Amino acid sequence: MTINISDETNSLLKDNGFRIEEIQEIIESAESSGNKLKDADGEVFIARGDSDNLTTYAVYSPLANGAFELKSAYAHKMKVAGLTGGSFGEVEYDDESGWTCHKCNEEAVDRNVDMFYLDVSRPGPGIVCPKCGDIYITQGVTKTLKTAESILEEKRA
Amino acid sequence: MKQISTVGSLCPECLRTIEGIKFVEDGKVYIKKECAEHGSFTTLISKDVNHYLKMEECFDVDRARVKAPLTDVNKGCPYDCGICPSHKQDTCLAIVEITDRCDLGCTYCFADSTSDASNDPDMDTIRRMFEAVKSCSNEPTCVQISGGEPTLRNDLPEIIKMAKEVGISHVELNTNGRRIARDQDYFDRIKAAGIDAIYLGFDGVSDDVYLQRTGKKLFDIKAEVINKCDKAGIGVVLVPLVAKNYNLHEVGKIIEFASQKVPTVRGVHFQPVFYSGRSPAEMEGRTTILELLEEIETQTDGQLKVENFTPSLMPTAHCGATCLTLIDNGNFIPLTNVSMGAVRSKSDVANKTKKSIMGRWKGSTPDLQPVSKPSCHDLLSKASLVNASKSDVSSSCCEKPNNTISIETIPMESSCCRSSGGWADFIEMSMNKYLTISTMAFQDVWSYEKERVENCCIHVVTQDGKLIPFCNYNLSNCNGDFLYRNKNKVIGMDD
Repeated sequence: MTINISDETNSLLKDNGFRIEEIQEIIESAESSGNKLKDADGEVFIARGDSDNLTTYAVYSPLANGAFELKSAYAHKMKVAGLTGGSFGEVEYDDESGWTCHKCNEEAVDRNVDMFYLDVSRPGPGIVCPKCGDIYITQGVTKTLKTAESILEEKRA
Repeated sequence: MKQISTVGSLCPECLRTIEGIKFVEDGKVYIKKECAEHGSFTTLISKDVNHYLKMEECFDVDRARVKAPLTDVNKGCPYDCGICPSHKQDTCLAIVEITDRCDLGCTYCFADSTSDASNDPDMDTIRRMFEAVKSCSNEPTCVQISGGEPTLRNDLPEIIKMAKEVGISHVELNTNGRRIARDQDYFDRIKAAGIDAIYLGFDGVSDDVYLQRTGKKLFDIKAEVINKCDKAGIGVVLVPLVAKNYNLHEVGKIIEFASQKVPTVRGVHFQPVFYSGRSPAEMEGRTTILELLEEIETQTDGQLKVENFTPSLMPTAHCGATCLTLIDNGNFIPLTNVSMGAVRSKSDVANKTKKSIMGRWKGSTPDLQPVSKPSCHDLLSKASLVNASKSDVSSSCCEKPNNTISIETIPMESSCCRSSGGWADFIEMSMNKYLTISTMAFQDVWSYEKERVENCCIHVVTQDGKLIPFCNYNLSNCNGDFLYRNKNKVIGMDD
């Protein structure tokens, strides 16, 4: 699988300590399993990779020649526990996130999800597939989570 | 009996350097030492070896030495203080005592305050004391103006101004608060002079406590000082002296009171009493760090546990313990825990502590400032993501994105603009609802360990411009003769 990475994106990866191989793995896994979000035009995908201490996301686009272009990558250390309140509730029209769960071909919705880190649990916005329940966190939210993580990490500061 | 290590110590009678051992018996840690002339001395230093060793495990620091030592190594530790070249630790806080006088006459006082005005150092002397800090210690420099009661001096505002002129980065005032409470003009001048924080003696939340130590009702005065500092935007650290049969039963209430006064109150710094009595048996009021922490756990209904206190970034793992906690609707969310392992720091002890003194204990939190207030847009997932996905990674989510949804359509629970208790609120809370609870175990001649004092980062400045590690400065033998305080010469060696 060919993944194009612009210089700009490459330096973003470096600055944030991502290895190109791990991002490639996440995209390959998403492409083979179909576990990814896609935007309304099918031009942007988000894939998620879970490891013990980190959840990493790759934002990428398909190119005409069958290759992919990596747009961005981000990660959070917090664990996503599940939907706030536990159950899904009714899906309203304006819950639509603008993203579709590729595997279920189902419109994903905005939902609060509980995220915990170092004994503290709080809700935050996630994008959830109503069918398979897969949860994705967006890059913008991750910025907030990162700050909260570093506050909690004062334990190790 | 199992020996842990040997210790360099002092004879409680003659202050000669003697060797001793640290050993464990029945799960307790003791120091035993023997003077050829005055016999053998055994002192309990921790009632729980597990906690004692856990604190050591959690302690891992880098060190930096002072910029320029001011004395030579001659007779060996602890007789060459000033700082001497063999001292292993830079200054984190320099204490400048500007008077011996005090208006309280406490039943207990390690500063040995009197009412004699003639010994007050003049302005030139004080300037040289500040300059000694500048020449000896690395930047930034933190000074605590202390005494006696410094507010007995009418020229205190000029002294603070002078400290700033000399280039001291952070100047805090150690006070009982009485003059600040009643003299607004004086307080205004202290503020105008540039005071950075108030280190307020605060032994309890009830007048019973103050009556016992001072014969005066002082609680309203303490509250008024905090009120004034709140209006002036000056941070306050509450400093309770702690002893059994005195205020140990109130430590939880003190923390609770402090938590209601954040962010003006930045921290509570408990100082267990240390003694220079005839024998350790006489020190019934003495409280070890662990005993204090256990009381805090009990009195906060387990919200702040013993394990939430990690070794302070101080000389050794046994010099102090610190808990950083957030206050959330009257509840505590402690951020520190010994189970997290060693506190690892890229900067050295003094530097880190100075940062803490200057930041957390001040009216602001520089560590957290780059974060600034979390923007609503950070949580507007679509807005930020749309930007990223349209291959414009660098563009800020705060710019007006095309395809975004307005705040009104964000579900109630996920909007940071309505108090949701989410992570954005958490961040905001951490900047304004942050309390540092710490304690420091001063050494006395019974518990004295050379290793601790060699690494001491709190230094008292003498009038002849020397810097003396705090525990050496206040150390006396069992007859009350000081090693350094009120002395120009050293006792205990050849004389």
